[in-house]
Amino acid sequence: MTKANTPERNNEGFLENSSDWSPEIAAIIAAEDQIGLSEKHWEIIGFLREFYKEHEMSPPSNRLFVRSVKEALGEDKGNSIYLMQLFPGTPAKTACRIAGLPRPTNCL
Amino acid sequence: MGTLIVIDQPPYGTWAGREALDMAFSLAAFDQPVALLFTGAGVNWLRKSQETTGIGQKSVEKNLSAALIFGVEALYADATACARYGLVPDNMVTGVAMAESSAEVMRQHSHTAFAG
Amino acid sequence: MTEIDTLHILNKAPEHPRSAECLRAIEPGDALLLIESAVLTLATCSELRAGITLYALAPDALARGIAQNAVKASLVDFPAMVELTAQAQKVISW
Repeated sequence: MTKANTPERNNEGFLENSSDWSPEIAAIIAAEDQIGLSEKHWEIIGFLREFYKEHEMSPPSNRLFVRSVKEALGEDKGNSIYLMQLFPGTPAKTACRIAGLPRPTNCL
Repeated sequence: MGTLIVIDQPPYGTWAGREALDMAFSLAAFDQPVALLFTGAGVNWLRKSQETTGIGQKSVEKNLSAALIFGVEALYADATACARYGLVPDNMVTGVAMAESSAEVMRQHSHTAFAG
Repeated sequence: MTEIDTLHILNKAPEHPRSAECLRAIEPGDALLLIESAVLTLATCSELRAGITLYALAPDALARGIAQNAVKASLVDFPAMVELTAQAQKVISW
């Protein structure tokens, strides 16, 4: 799949419709941030997709993203250093963008 | 002690309740103790099996189910208001504490704010 | 279908003063259509006088998880709501 036929996205690169998402699209979005997706990334992406299905929202801020990961996967993964290494920038924003979810509402 | 946010408006009618929920999540994010109290028509936030596809809004039931994960300390429901709306533990979301007296719950917090 | 004299469309929760005002104003031969927050009236024990037909907008009842409480009301979709409005001689939107 090329960039030309990826689904509709907003001006910050978030998918307009989370159901348009696929692992292939995740890889394309991640590549824009120079991120090559590993098993560790997929674990967090899978967690976020499940979270969205259950709560109909993305974790609204970075702190709440870290806390949610900690609740689900434990302290080794639910800490900002680990998540920052996987998803540079603002981890919640970067990870939600790759996972095809709406932008966390309280992230700048 | 900590902050108590009171939702006494029904779900989906206005944005007031969602904004209050967002405020509760933000306080929790910064480790400020916060709890939610549902009273009046607001107890209808807590009803199970809300199917919102027909009205094009996100389910407040599902949004609310993230509250305890985010660190909101407690969800209280006014018992009198629940009785008025036929709400019993069986048809309510899990993790809700019934409050016989809303006034008493408010007295247990250093700051109480109503939504909307 | 029988003709409706006045169709009362209520969108306020039972706590709202206009809800009580609306319920007082309804006469036999009228119909009451509950939409938005007013569908919560179905979960309370509000009594309606005899001779009044009760409707509730289905998407609003489903959203609030009370479609199964609607034993006393007929659930209608948007086209049926338009139909009701057309059948009524007068409409009051509370």
